[in-house]
Amino acid sequence: MNTFDYLMPTSLDEAISLCASHGEEALYVAGGTDVMVKVKEGKISPQYLISLRHLQEGLDHIEYKNGELKIGALATHRMLELSPVIRRDFPMLFDAVQNIGSVQIRNVATIGGNIANAVPSADGAIPLITLGARVRIKGPRGERSMALEDLFVGPGQTLLEQGEIVLEFVIPELPPHTGGAYWKHTRRAAMELPLLGVAVLLSLDDDLQTCAEARIGLGVLGPTPMRAKKAEATLKGKRLDDETLEEAGKAAAAECKARDSIRGKAWYRREMVEVLVQRMARLAMERAQ
Amino acid sequence: MEALGSVGKRVPKLDAADKVTGRAVYIQDLKVPGMLYGKILRSKYPHARIIHIDTSKAKKLLGVRAVITAEDVPEVRFGLMKDQPALKGQKVRSYRDEVAAVAAIDPQIAEEAISSIEVEYDSLPGVFNPEEAMKEGAPLVHEENKSNVLKIPWKLVEGDVDQARKDSAFVAEDSYDLTWVTHCCMGTEGVIADFDLRNNLTVYRNTQIPYLAQRDFNDALRAMGLKGSKSRVIKPTIAGGFGSKLDTYAFEYIAILLAYVTRKPVKILQTREEEFRYTSTRQPAIVNIAQGCDQNGKLTFRDISMTLDNGAYTSWGATTPSVMMMPISSLYKVPNVRYEATCVYTNNTWSQAMRGYGNPQATFAIESNLDQLALEAGIDPMEFRLINANEPGEITPQRFKITTCGLKECIWEVGKRLEWEKRKKGAKIEGRGIGMASLIHVGGGARVYKSDGCGTIVKVDDFGTVSVFTGATDIGQGAETVIAQMVADEIGVMPEDVTIIDNDTDVCPWDVGVHASRTTFVAGNSALMAARKVKEQILKISAGYVDRWKDKEGNRHETKLDDDPANLFVRDRMICSATDPETKVSLGKILRGAHYSQGGTMIMAEHFYDPDNENLDREFKGNLSKTYAYGTHGVEVEVDKETGKVKILKYIAAHDVGRAINPMLLEGQIYGAAAMGTGYALTEQLILEEGKVMNANFRDYKILTAKDVIPVEPVIVETMDQDGPYGAKGIGEPGCVPSAPAIANAIYDAIGVRIKSLPITPEKIVEALRGKK
Amino acid sequence: MKQVISFVLNGDRMELEVESHWTLLYLLREHLEITGTKPGCESGECGACTVLVNGKAINSCIFPAMEVHGATVITIEGLAKPSGELHPLQKAFVEHGGVQCGFCTPGMIMAAKGLLDENPNPTEDEIRHALAGNICRCTGYVQIIEAVMAASRTASQQ
Repeated sequence: MNTFDYLMPTSLDEAISLCASHGEEALYVAGGTDVMVKVKEGKISPQYLISLRHLQEGLDHIEYKNGELKIGALATHRMLELSPVIRRDFPMLFDAVQNIGSVQIRNVATIGGNIANAVPSADGAIPLITLGARVRIKGPRGERSMALEDLFVGPGQTLLEQGEIVLEFVIPELPPHTGGAYWKHTRRAAMELPLLGVAVLLSLDDDLQTCAEARIGLGVLGPTPMRAKKAEATLKGKRLDDETLEEAGKAAAAECKARDSIRGKAWYRREMVEVLVQRMARLAMERAQ
Repeated sequence: MEALGSVGKRVPKLDAADKVTGRAVYIQDLKVPGMLYGKILRSKYPHARIIHIDTSKAKKLLGVRAVITAEDVPEVRFGLMKDQPALKGQKVRSYRDEVAAVAAIDPQIAEEAISSIEVEYDSLPGVFNPEEAMKEGAPLVHEENKSNVLKIPWKLVEGDVDQARKDSAFVAEDSYDLTWVTHCCMGTEGVIADFDLRNNLTVYRNTQIPYLAQRDFNDALRAMGLKGSKSRVIKPTIAGGFGSKLDTYAFEYIAILLAYVTRKPVKILQTREEEFRYTSTRQPAIVNIAQGCDQNGKLTFRDISMTLDNGAYTSWGATTPSVMMMPISSLYKVPNVRYEATCVYTNNTWSQAMRGYGNPQATFAIESNLDQLALEAGIDPMEFRLINANEPGEITPQRFKITTCGLKECIWEVGKRLEWEKRKKGAKIEGRGIGMASLIHVGGGARVYKSDGCGTIVKVDDFGTVSVFTGATDIGQGAETVIAQMVADEIGVMPEDVTIIDNDTDVCPWDVGVHASRTTFVAGNSALMAARKVKEQILKISAGYVDRWKDKEGNRHETKLDDDPANLFVRDRMICSATDPETKVSLGKILRGAHYSQGGTMIMAEHFYDPDNENLDREFKGNLSKTYAYGTHGVEVEVDKETGKVKILKYIAAHDVGRAINPMLLEGQIYGAAAMGTGYALTEQLILEEGKVMNANFRDYKILTAKDVIPVEPVIVETMDQDGPYGAKGIGEPGCVPSAPAIANAIYDAIGVRIKSLPITPEKIVEALRGKK
Repeated sequence: MKQVISFVLNGDRMELEVESHWTLLYLLREHLEITGTKPGCESGECGACTVLVNGKAINSCIFPAMEVHGATVITIEGLAKPSGELHPLQKAFVEHGGVQCGFCTPGMIMAAKGLLDENPNPTEDEIRHALAGNICRCTGYVQIIEAVMAASRTASQQ
């Protein structure tokens, strides 16, 4: 039987020490939309679930100060979807979160939980790594931080050690004339895990034509959310016309590690990367004006 | 006919208030005192011998009341060919096979008991493709047969197809491939079986065939040695059918066996995952088709052969050819027809009825191929359809007697709303296209069995409240409402005065089942005729009635009704004089007067209506239905050539329904069926690999959501069928029959590629476009 | 592990003992035997089990029962008035054909209520977006959307 004790600590330190005392038998749970399903399916059988919903520290903030965006790990996707800041200043992130699951899922599922679950398709992760997010973590051995993309090491696997909690994501100030866009490629219009996800962030020179910096994030196209660094390099310093965008699309397609699955075939995913990188790049350029 | 009250109006569903408040009770909600929960252990292999089953651990678990395998219980064989027992003892032939079952005091304990049962299998090579299964030396699914090919001779011939082909000016030939899709009823399958002390059985079941199920359960009781025991079927509110409940399943017999062994009620309820894995699907088909026409575009022949994956055991899927014959022989005028279908056992899942019952599959091939033929002949596809459209008074190659037929009107409506001629003549819009496809379906019952009847009893109480006991089943489509409207109008009361009782085989008269879109027509006619008898009785006791009454001031008055019942009518709960409608007496007063007197009478009447349609004869010919429903769907699509994604810009669904008894419910059927048909066309697919379902959840089985907008415009064409109640024909299934070919034809118009397998995924489009380059 | 939780359910104060592993759906249907909320998939993929917790639409099948401690929960049973007068959404669903088999209906109405409470005058796109997590096999969604639009118009007239 899938039974577990459900603990509701009221502070971060209490949560961490509870987790430390129960060791391998305990799991953190935020919204529960991943954990509860896995428990029901028998994929995991924790003896203790430690809820992170009642911490006095909250950790569900969305703060935009001096160009720097801080998102608490316990912010729900719905909070991000409804945040005027995210919608206006980080449309790539808005693009991603507004169609994750359903309203019912987004009302409880947290961005931190999404990241910690670490599926290669995570719509939350791709835009965050493309925006250059850093992740702050706290555990029994204290606090640390790293580039978010370094957190993922394999499907469902992160560098999070036993007892560590994701605290927040910090997105550094973006250069002027920066625009970003995210496309989730699906079969239906909702309730979908993406066939693939493509995020493009472009920072333009003052002439608004030349690319100062490019970042391309890809989802479901490798064992972890990934950056298409070779493709990015083809854009940097170049004039953004049809030819350069096409070259970047081809480079990203070659660079990704698409696989066959029952959700879709590798060849189609690769072809779509080529198409969608170009489309998202154009949208990013528009948003960068 | 007198002025109609509620027929033709948008009357809300009678049970809607219960459903929007959460009061409606479904099988999920039903509990019987002392009830146990049953769970089933399914096979670990698609094809294997069972060497040994060890249930000892399960039996020892606290809370377990029974653990059964094939050797513990009498064998109960069921299914169209009785080719499967409820519990499999020697061999498993699919992942669905039921190997053991447990009854326990709660579902969690039952689940635990199931996982503790150890089965030793000897795996056998499996066969997962009907064409492979037909080959010499293929593993035999049923070893007692010499081959995997079923001995069901589906063959329909009319005229000389080979000669007609030689004589044709144009011929189009191709192959089409349709795979498994599933019903996805929002409430899963479930049953509660309960024996009383005299071994009479009560089964609570969300079934579409209460009386046929009752017969099946009686057969099971006999097989269990309980001759003389009776069974009773009680239906809770049904959470969707779409054909999934037109059969009896192993799990029902298992629940009955567990109930017998434990002497307690046993409930088995499928989880959503079990629903995806273990519900019989729509019949897949590999279709080869050729059609031809003369110089002027008149169809000369239609030649079709099909290979059907029968799965491990035989259910209604194997009979879909009998319905596929309908569009093959009678969609458009085609003088020479040949059709053959071969059903082949494999170790895959097997199929049953699903909305349309083979018609969507056959129509996909016919209507896609028809567009190809029109292209060959250089004739516009709409024009081609009009040239060959069926007409009233026709007798088709299958000997269907077409009475009312609004096919041409439907084609015109679609053409008008898609601005067909203008579009076809005008400049091509890149990536956009329009297409259409038509349908024929039975609209006046279908004599599949020896009886196509439905019985109704109507009784009226002392207050003018009408109770209608009908054999019909409401599966959400609104049968009870439509019947109430018709009865209310016939008698002259309001629909809210009518209560429908339809849920108990001990109480309600017989009906063959809710299938073949027959309920409005057959159950409606039955109710109407019983209501007519009731009205006659009411008017008879009202004739010559003298009503003595006092007004507010205390003055006495007398109202006398006409002596001749023919001069009276019922309206708004009053009996009125036809010559002077102001001369009226309360219906309730008259009823009470007739009841509370010496030699009193109460009003009640019954009618069993069985339409005079025909069984198909040995050549599969005969007038299967009393009338036929026609329709045409037209679609405008926009195809993103780079990604292959298809967007539906316009969707016109024109249907000849005879008469719309309730336009709101009718539109509801069209909207729902169009969504199901579009899913069939573009996104739905039950993925099996080596017999195993790979997408047994809503995340990976792509049924359309509220955000997948299909802008359906229903167009109701009323041809006023003389045999239908108030002129009505059936609508339940037609709405999903032509969706896939209409969309496929529109895609061809948009990008010049024809996708011949469903679903039409973005990948197939991208690949086809690449091939075109 | 058993735990006592207190919360408000459809306006009533509740205090009861729950098992720590129960979901809210289990608590409602099996323990309290309030069966209006339906089990469609028990994996958060169909929305049939939608209820409002602190005004937010959630899938009760994957919502820990413990988390309603201190919260306000509204299920389909809490919408109609004690007099029997239906909520404008319920009335609209009845009048516009938004109900066929009815199994998705309670969840659909609760999701719609969650929307209208936040956004009293939604566009059709906003309604579809809010109901994207509620699967219906019978209606094709059209009359459901019409019902929600009609309810929003009625409510704004009051």
